[in-house]
Amino acid sequence: MTAAAFRHALDLVTRVRGVRGAMLVSGDDGLVVAEQLMGGIKGTAVAALAASLSGRLRRAMEAAGVGVSVFWHLQAEQGALLVVPGGGGDSGGLLIVAVAEPDVNIGLVRLELLRAAEAVA
Amino acid sequence: MADDIRALSAQLAQDPQSLVFLRLGEALRRKGQLDAALRVAINGLERHPHLADAHDLYARLLADKHDYERAFDEWDMALRIAPSHTGALKGLAFLYFKVGDVAQAEAHLEAAQRHEPDDPSIAQALAMVRGGVSPPAPTPTAETAPTPTATPAATAPTAASPLDESRVFAGLEGAQEGLLLLDAAGRVLGGALRNPAGADVADAVAAYLAGVSQEAARTAKLLGLGAWGGLSAEGQHGNVHLAQPSKDALLLVVRDRGVPLGRLAILAQRTTAMARRWLERQG
Amino acid sequence: MTTRAVEGWTLQPLTDFVREASVRLVLLMTPAGQVLAQSGFSRAVDVMSAAALGAAIMASTGELARQLRQAPFAALNHQGQRHGIFLSSLRSERGPVVVLAVYDLDVSSLGLVQLFFEQMATDLQAASPKTASKQVLAADFERELSESLNTLFGR
Repeated sequence: MTAAAFRHALDLVTRVRGVRGAMLVSGDDGLVVAEQLMGGIKGTAVAALAASLSGRLRRAMEAAGVGVSVFWHLQAEQGALLVVPGGGGDSGGLLIVAVAEPDVNIGLVRLELLRAAEAVA
Repeated sequence: MADDIRALSAQLAQDPQSLVFLRLGEALRRKGQLDAALRVAINGLERHPHLADAHDLYARLLADKHDYERAFDEWDMALRIAPSHTGALKGLAFLYFKVGDVAQAEAHLEAAQRHEPDDPSIAQALAMVRGGVSPPAPTPTAETAPTPTATPAATAPTAASPLDESRVFAGLEGAQEGLLLLDAAGRVLGGALRNPAGADVADAVAAYLAGVSQEAARTAKLLGLGAWGGLSAEGQHGNVHLAQPSKDALLLVVRDRGVPLGRLAILAQRTTAMARRWLERQG
Repeated sequence: MTTRAVEGWTLQPLTDFVREASVRLVLLMTPAGQVLAQSGFSRAVDVMSAAALGAAIMASTGELARQLRQAPFAALNHQGQRHGIFLSSLRSERGPVVVLAVYDLDVSSLGLVQLFFEQMATDLQAASPKTASKQVLAADFERELSESLNTLFGR
């Protein structure tokens, strides 16, 4: 995996209208691997919190018997967080994260996150 | 009637693309041949997926079979295609009244009345809803509109049937499993959840979900996204949606992969409304 | 989890950090190893050992950075199988404060610890009293140590 591959993966996501930033995050540590963010978004916070929520959600989903998460989406009043667990399997690994406006086209972001996950796998 | 069905069937066989399937489906429905009517409706929908009347016919048949959740989806779809479709408005009013949401029932009937002010069945249904009398279910022998069988004056008003408090999600498909209402501490208030192996996992999942919701709230707050409204996730074997009917409660809806996230969100919205009403009644 | 402070101004920022970062053990201390506050420890001997070792690690890595002609390292992280150890220092009006935090990898993460450590640094800087810290004389040291331990363990 190279920096160019990371940049390409993030480009796929950030070009979707309404996406304010995209990141590759280490799921185990909650640390930033690569980022492309608009001003005002704190990458370290996004990374840490997305990884933490991802881990908790993973445990809940496993307990419910629906298997590992392929995509998840946190909806909020003023924005959204969308995450696809990427390469590295389901025990943390790499997360592809998008921070978006509340009215973003979720389906499109999801598709691009999945493509980005393939690109870094 | 039998001659009608034969004639309509022949027409449809000759021209499968024609809209005669609507009349054939309705004729079969009135005769009580629901399975045959469903086949006709589904075939017609496959050929005419953007026809509001087709969704309306299918919805009425689903309601006849007490599949209210899917009936709701179909009437909802009909309205998205044709926002003034009175059949869909009346159908949804019936379903809302059935679950005790009189306000929504009334709103939908009023909307139907605005589009068809001269339809007496709508006026009658409104009068019944306002009088607290449950409109009859659309039966195979009834007219297509949910028409009351008696005028309000001749029938003593009865209270709308309350939501079954012992089963929070009574009447909602999948209430026996795949719907879970929790308090903020992770204790189960209603619903049930089983894993694919059939084991009861409600308590275990509830315990995890308290942490998920706290983390979701914190994440949204610290990232400046405002208050969180929901969390949906696609798993390898199923999809989940987590919502907050109230400040101190959580709702989890779980469905298999066949139910896409968008549809799951719609189901979650409705279930959230039911859960909210139940919580309000608990005080 | 018990959180106690010798220096009262450290208590709220430390409490917030423990809650938000979900850390298991925390020590706030001077670079010399004098403990200002602790959370999660149940035995005085553990506190003193951890403080001494933490201060020594900071001093060693500080010297290493100096020899490399670098600014002091911002933070150190050691990751084991089940736990991680985070060590860093921050500025306050009372002088530098060293933070030693131990976290469960199942419950927290380096990212979370770093994120909320930054917040705690801000909070401690704002809360620290703007008076010069008194010099500890050898004669007072043992008494102060004993008093600190009593405070840290609620005795």
